[in-house]
Amino acid sequence: MLPDHFSAAERPVRQALAEHVDKARHWHLAQLFADDTARFDTLSLEGCGLLVDFSKQRLTGETLDLLLDLACARDLESWVRALFEGSDVNWTEARPALHWRLREQADAAPEVHDQLARMGEIVDQVLRGQWRGCHGDAITDVVNVGVGGSDLGPLMASYALADFRPEHGRRPDLHFVSSMDGSQIAPLLNDLNPATTLIVVSSKSFTTLDTLANAETARAWLERAFPDQQRALMRCHFVGVSANPEKMSEWGIHPCNQLLFWEWVGGRFSLWSAIGLPIALTVGMKGFRELLEGAREMDVHFREAPLAHNLPVILGLVDVWNINFLDITARAVLPYDGRLKHFPSYLEQLEMESNGKSVTRDGTPVDYHTCPVIWGEVGSNAQHAFYQLLHQGTQPVACDFIVAGRYVPPSGDGDGHQQLAHQHRLTLANCLAQSRLLALGGGALPDDQHDQPAFKQYRGNQPSTTLMLDELSPRRLGSLVALYEHKVFVESVLWGINPFDQWGVEMGKVIARDMVPVLETGDGLDGLDASTRGLVRRARS
Amino acid sequence: MRIDVFGDTLCASVTAAALAQSGHEVCWFLPRGRVLDAVNEDRVPYREPGLGDLLGEQRAAGRLRCAPMTLNGDPAAPVVFLALQPGAQTLAAEIADWLASAGACGLVINQSVFPVGTSEALQRRLAEAGSPARVVALPETLQEGVAIDSFLRPHHILLGCDDPAAETLMREILRPFNRRRDVIRVMGLREAEFTKLAISGMLATRLSYMNDMALLAEQLDVDIDTVRQGVGSDPRIGEAYLYAGCGFGGSGFSRDVMSLTDTLRSKEVSAKLLEQVMEINERQKEVLFRRFWRHFEGEVAGRRVAIWGAAFKPGSDRVDNGPALKLIEALWAQDVQVHVHDPLALPELDAWAGGHPDLILHDDPYQAVADVDALMLVTEWKLYWSPDWPRLRDSMGTPLILDGRNIYDPDYVRGQGLLYHGIGRG
Repeated sequence: MLPDHFSAAERPVRQALAEHVDKARHWHLAQLFADDTARFDTLSLEGCGLLVDFSKQRLTGETLDLLLDLACARDLESWVRALFEGSDVNWTEARPALHWRLREQADAAPEVHDQLARMGEIVDQVLRGQWRGCHGDAITDVVNVGVGGSDLGPLMASYALADFRPEHGRRPDLHFVSSMDGSQIAPLLNDLNPATTLIVVSSKSFTTLDTLANAETARAWLERAFPDQQRALMRCHFVGVSANPEKMSEWGIHPCNQLLFWEWVGGRFSLWSAIGLPIALTVGMKGFRELLEGAREMDVHFREAPLAHNLPVILGLVDVWNINFLDITARAVLPYDGRLKHFPSYLEQLEMESNGKSVTRDGTPVDYHTCPVIWGEVGSNAQHAFYQLLHQGTQPVACDFIVAGRYVPPSGDGDGHQQLAHQHRLTLANCLAQSRLLALGGGALPDDQHDQPAFKQYRGNQPSTTLMLDELSPRRLGSLVALYEHKVFVESVLWGINPFDQWGVEMGKVIARDMVPVLETGDGLDGLDASTRGLVRRARS
Repeated sequence: MRIDVFGDTLCASVTAAALAQSGHEVCWFLPRGRVLDAVNEDRVPYREPGLGDLLGEQRAAGRLRCAPMTLNGDPAAPVVFLALQPGAQTLAAEIADWLASAGACGLVINQSVFPVGTSEALQRRLAEAGSPARVVALPETLQEGVAIDSFLRPHHILLGCDDPAAETLMREILRPFNRRRDVIRVMGLREAEFTKLAISGMLATRLSYMNDMALLAEQLDVDIDTVRQGVGSDPRIGEAYLYAGCGFGGSGFSRDVMSLTDTLRSKEVSAKLLEQVMEINERQKEVLFRRFWRHFEGEVAGRRVAIWGAAFKPGSDRVDNGPALKLIEALWAQDVQVHVHDPLALPELDAWAGGHPDLILHDDPYQAVADVDALMLVTEWKLYWSPDWPRLRDSMGTPLILDGRNIYDPDYVRGQGLLYHGIGRG
């Protein structure tokens, strides 16, 4: 039995929040900081190697208390229990969401560790140069073919952790192919040597058209290189990762090269499973297990910390405050670290595919906002792109600043550390300066600059949260990602929606399938709308 | 003349023995370790043909005395040879400091393989400590397996020397080995050190070049061995070091090339050619594995393979850096059981393998091949050149001969009912 999202207890809380927000709407962050010089002490939290500073959010301790009341009224604690007890929290698909099991220790999740062990064998063979192509050459390049969760998570984490080398062996060059058209795979295959290339086909269902189209292209490329070696080719050059072994076998993945995960893992929550093979090839199995351990620490924190000190809970409540009470429906994700380049697009999927919903469990459409529009970019680069809008545009935007507090030089390079440490300080300085200016506006500037023309003035009052990692390591990245995963769940409970399905992406696939013959033959145009008809005609001419 | 030799390299042992044989009173100082232990127990420290006898004779005659290196006690001899392990520059500096304090030494001959410039640095160190001793560089050019002969009858001697008096003394010491014609080539200290590395680099380049040609030969269906003879008959090229094969090994040769590569890199000169040379060599070490893999289309788990020859070259008991090791690791990684025969190198191989269950050592080459799916010829020991083909064919599970040194006649072997693959032979 799932707990109820809505209860009678909620009404007085909502009433109190409504009254509170009438005042809060007029607050300016510069004033809040002036009123309470100890804001940082009461409005920041630490845990799992992360410092979360939400004192630059437009709220006070009182706001937080009211939001915590709302969480209680929504029975959040029961929902967290339901998640970790394996109840069917994904009610539209009648299954639990057990991604947290992927980080459990061996005694608690033996089947997970069986697959980790199998993955470890593959990783070990590749890193030691002992995974062989069909002519016996050592594999030097690995191509991950996948899309969505089978692409974004592994890509994000492999890129973020590239400084961390495997404890032994030689890391292969990793490549990611996701787009349905051949624009990524064709030039890549031109550069690669089929004899030394391993293709990892990752798809939870193993029916994803985008992925299978790319995988077919790779297979044809290998078949041209090694005609008449069909069997050796499949055994030596393809690994499959899926929750559907039958489909993998049907497609031709050798049984020994099949890595499994489970229906109870959502695609966007799957980087902890064998979908993370590229991550393990980047950092080695030891590093991958560190990543899992960092996430497990966050799981324990989420389950056990009281709501008021619970990082995912507080982050979720802050988001709800911004979206539903302050009407801030956009959020920018701004990592001040080039290694987190792919983190914004990873979060775009995690948050928007999870909470881009508008129907509650009883089928009622919601009459409030759910997930905001989320976008982002490496912060220091975004300063030269869209920060203008943040500082002087008309849209209120909440920002997540993410930065590593400590600079840890990558192992191996002898010289140049001083320069790199300096660059890190420069980046950190920019991160702090921007969040300060966004919050305080002109108030952050020296007094003599206040008499500026209007177009040079900074309004400020753009709220932000700063997440400072001790360092960007496998363990801390694991904690960071798990923090966002759980935050997404907290929000879904507050909104009364299911974060674990994605029905909104199904219909487009069906219509696209029907569109292919229309484009091929031109038949069936009459049934289409005028716009589509016009576009089809133009494309066919 | 009293001469001290410092070090526990093969070069040190040969130098000490050969100088004693030519009448000098030699004291050989060894740092603690395997070689010193062997010498103390009257065992031969290196399995080098003739070395045991020579050391024994000279010690019995009283001209050669062996002692642990303590850097105190007797004052140093007027002439001191340094033949230390590669990388032991710190030890060399310590010895130099002691020589300066012990007074009597006038000439230091550095035979060790150190980075270019080390001999000069030693010279400065001695001078700063107030020693009048001169340093000369005499890079070792010993070939393992024929080390004694290459010391006694050298084809050439590189002498790095900046001082006329030191050169006179060196010529006197080398006189017994420089009789037929003057093979001493005198040059600067750095030049001598660099020449030694450049020679190794050139030889390695020739080998890797031929191995690349062998790959092409296979594609073009020509026999690289025929091509080799044609190429080698051109006097501008010559015959040496043109054999395509399953890669070179040994500590000295590859180490020199790596040292040269590092030197180039540290001076920010691109080391692309030598990096390629080493990479091709590493690739070549697995060429027999790849043949085996292709033959069975990758289905090799649970099979058995025999390897003849694990030493990095015939005449040596050393296996370090040799192709056999890489080959065995590749086979183990695929769950293949490896049976090895080698007349000298099995103890070293055994020590390297550390009791791996998939390595079985054999004293008899024919026992090693029983029921195997392939025989890989890795080191061309003479005893492998003319096997009993029918016996091989009948005892092997799959009569697949993978000839890593192109020593067999492909047509003859095939005519005996066996399958044959060489390196670059179609």
